[in-house]
Amino acid sequence: MTLAPDAVGRPPQPRPAIPALIDEATVESIAGETWIALVGEDEVLVPIPGDLPEDTLSAWVDVVGPWTGSVVLTTGRQTAADLTRALLGEAAPELLDHEDVADAFGEIANVVGGNVKAAIPGPSTLGLPEVGPAPAVRNPADVCRIEVCWRGQPLVVSVQGALPSLPVPNTQHDNPHQNGASQ
Amino acid sequence: MRALVIDDSRAMRRIVSAALEGFGYETRQAGHGQEALDVLQEGYAPDLCTIDWNMPVMDGLQFVSAVRANPAWRALTLMMVTSESEQGQIVRALAAGAHEYVIKPFTADALRDKLALLGMLPEEAVL
Repeated sequence: MTLAPDAVGRPPQPRPAIPALIDEATVESIAGETWIALVGEDEVLVPIPGDLPEDTLSAWVDVVGPWTGSVVLTTGRQTAADLTRALLGEAAPELLDHEDVADAFGEIANVVGGNVKAAIPGPSTLGLPEVGPAPAVRNPADVCRIEVCWRGQPLVVSVQGALPSLPVPNTQHDNPHQNGASQ
Repeated sequence: MRALVIDDSRAMRRIVSAALEGFGYETRQAGHGQEALDVLQEGYAPDLCTIDWNMPVMDGLQFVSAVRANPAWRALTLMMVTSESEQGQIVRALAAGAHEYVIKPFTADALRDKLALLGMLPEEAVL
């Protein structure tokens, strides 16, 4: 865990990293329940890692609160389209366009993200779903990531902090009052 | 019975509408709270509104407050259907005037149970 510097010289406050707030089993359980309820009763997520294809799509929601970051779902573009068809069932159009896939995949991310938010200390706010290339991981120590398969295709759920890692304070150089006191 | 399904996700509107139609509701849809208010102001008179929380333009909580501020819509049953599942938010929604709260993901059976609790299941769905 890193320590945040304080502009007015108060003792630095710890900033929680996600592994201290939620574990992989909880994220897997949330994702699994979402799949069964939204995608279909028989649609299970199998906890087997797999290599994502080159052509991927991500959907995510931002969480802002004591912990700030994103809940990101990433899978192959074709798998995202298959998910959309499964989600819409008989209401799926014959030809899916990008908006259909973005809307459905974004809603799945929204439901997973909302339940992840509820599992970590709050209060927090949830952003609207976004779809596109996955946001970059800014602090590898602030990530809780699971790899699963749906219908044999890999899918990753990453709960990742939005803030970069902070330097560990150095008492020789980081305390402005220490230098001032000697003058 | 008539329902207005309010959600910014087309997919979720279809899912909720399909479930309600399966119970015997006639449904209309709106993509956010302001669009839903416009539908009500045009004269559409649903028995039930299902309302997502996080939406652009006007969110679900603002919509609930706006409906509750208008005595003409006093009889309208308001049900939040949202992935916002923190206890504090459930309390806020109920305090603002929502009657019931369904957390996504939900099954059609769970939605049916909540409607039954509210006495909002059409007769054909009760039989």
